[in-house]
Amino acid sequence: MRKGTFMRWGVPIAAAAVIGGALGAGPVIAAVSGDPVLPERSAQQLLADAAAATGKSEGPPPMSGTVQQTASLGLPALPQTGGSSPLALLSGSHEVKVWYGGQDKVRVAMPTQLAETNLIVNGDQAWYWDSSSNTATRVKLPQGGERPGSLATHRPEDLTPQAAAEKMLAQVGEHTVISVSNTAEVAGRPAYQLVLKPKAEGSLVQEVRLALDGENYMPLRVQVFAKGSAEPAFQIGYTQVTFTPPAAENFTFTPPAGAKVEEQDFAAHKREMGGEQQERAKEAARDVKVVGEGWTSVAVLPGSLSDLTGKKADGATPGGEESRFGGRDGADPAALLDSVLKSATPVSGEWGSGKLITTKLATALLTDDGRLLVGAVTPEEITKAAGVK
Amino acid sequence: MSTAESTEARTRRTPGLVPVAETLSSAERRPAEPVPPLPPARRPWAFWRLLGSELELTFKRPRNLAMLAVVACVPVIVGITLWIVAGDEAMGGLVADVAGNSLMLTFASFSFLVLLLMPITVSVVAGDSIAGEAGAGTLRYLLAAPAGRTRLLAVKYLNAVVYGYAVTAVVALSALVTGLILFPAGPMTLLSGSTVSMAEGLTRILISVGYVGAGMAALAAVAMALSVFTEVPIGAIAGTMVLVIVCQVLRAIPQLSALEPYLLPSRFTSFDAVLRSPIDTGALMSGLVTFGAYITLSLTIAWAHFSGKDITA
Repeated sequence: MRKGTFMRWGVPIAAAAVIGGALGAGPVIAAVSGDPVLPERSAQQLLADAAAATGKSEGPPPMSGTVQQTASLGLPALPQTGGSSPLALLSGSHEVKVWYGGQDKVRVAMPTQLAETNLIVNGDQAWYWDSSSNTATRVKLPQGGERPGSLATHRPEDLTPQAAAEKMLAQVGEHTVISVSNTAEVAGRPAYQLVLKPKAEGSLVQEVRLALDGENYMPLRVQVFAKGSAEPAFQIGYTQVTFTPPAAENFTFTPPAGAKVEEQDFAAHKREMGGEQQERAKEAARDVKVVGEGWTSVAVLPGSLSDLTGKKADGATPGGEESRFGGRDGADPAALLDSVLKSATPVSGEWGSGKLITTKLATALLTDDGRLLVGAVTPEEITKAAGVK
Repeated sequence: MSTAESTEARTRRTPGLVPVAETLSSAERRPAEPVPPLPPARRPWAFWRLLGSELELTFKRPRNLAMLAVVACVPVIVGITLWIVAGDEAMGGLVADVAGNSLMLTFASFSFLVLLLMPITVSVVAGDSIAGEAGAGTLRYLLAAPAGRTRLLAVKYLNAVVYGYAVTAVVALSALVTGLILFPAGPMTLLSGSTVSMAEGLTRILISVGYVGAGMAALAAVAMALSVFTEVPIGAIAGTMVLVIVCQVLRAIPQLSALEPYLLPSRFTSFDAVLRSPIDTGALMSGLVTFGAYITLSLTIAWAHFSGKDITA
């Protein structure tokens, strides 16, 4: 080997080191500059502040940012569905952009390859723009301060950390060990991190981490860790956020020339649909039985293969994001069901026999006597619950 | 010095019996012979002259011109196809966008071409750059000049970059002309649903040309790095294409989605950020940073190998 060879190859090696360093720069810089310093807080103080901040009548401060959602639930590979389909959120990583100017000024955009869906709420009307179908839908919202949340159950707005955090806060209780750290950093902002650890052994959830902004207590990130994995099984959080009022043109929308424009009256739609949905919900609630409590609660509902598709959506389980998104408005629930059932393992015991579907965060058991059990618990727990008649 | 170099540039395709075989090892064996420093004012001049002659060779080569013609044809074919199907009501998305505005054809053409055809053209020119000279036995004449290796590498790379931008500009121009002939001109609808004036639409096309061209420059650097390792130009060209195709395959596997942001071809399509309102500068910047990283790494590898290589051909 010639003299100087080492010197020359030092250049690309140094370049690789610099690039590698830049990729991992976030943690390195954080380590060098020291942990962000926030005053110590107890869990109760923090929860109260957070509750006050999220429950305040004027809502969170005006902001804009990018929200990223990542799910690795350990589901079998899903058939490729459309980019904005709720089913697509079950695997992989998704990004939405959020502009928030106040209660009645919201824009949520979901950019995909050469396409974009937008939900723009301004005052009493909302526009839903889908560039791939070239359609603008105008929705008249009911007057009287009601948030359009229920409209957007399966729209990108679902992805805001606020909504997810509110859900998590509701779960806090006697079944959970709560701790707080004040050294987290999310989207470049110092944040408190609330760590919720289930007490129950049988839960599949290792812990839930909720990051709250150090200044205004806005939830910045929610992570759900499954037992035995270092990476979060489900994560939703801001990758970039600024708390300044976004430009006004984000909230104005004029349908472009040549686009299809559809009208929907939300109030009428709700009256029409609401009755029917309430009927269904009541019916479903009669059938659902909950075995166990807290993190290990298992929902037992009547279900056979044929009507599983419809029922699955109703089995809301703690931490079970799967049932929240799956089923109802999915683009192709049948395809999802097929691929999930293929991965099911037959099991049997004193309680009978059935098919077991396991993911990192949730377990479902479809018994041969026509019951469907869903819970964020280990397979042992769910078969135990199956024994409870 | 400059006279010698320009003569050489003109005559280097004629193989002769000139015994110029100064390899690094022979140079190192007699290091006592100091190279007289060049007059500082003339040095950049010589560099640009070498680049000029290199560009002239590139843009006079029938093969390279044919590739430019092929990429220029694609927007025309796409435009005519879309013009025929545009009456179909069921067509949505990009087809409807293109039918509604002439400027959109540029973006539609880019979205087809950046996947394979434009990378092919760029890797042919960049992959051929060093390996082609080595294969034809002309590399040693090019290197006869002192301090020539780093400069030759720089000239060859800039040449490939210019060709990459030429390909990008040819696609944009061809799409623009076809679009203006076939489809109505006027304000352009963005993906976000808002409308911008035609002048701003043209500005956005310019930005996307800059971005896609930078992506092609990054690919040229990769092809260049492969080119210095071989004397068979087709090896470097095919190697680059294999890399591009492997990246596209990896992108299609959902389980490997964590890898996607680091793959070069997945950044080529980010030019659609200019079609959003407001322009997604974050996506453009992270794409440019990725290109920069690939260029730095590839060129330093190419330089480290090339400057220490024994040139035997």
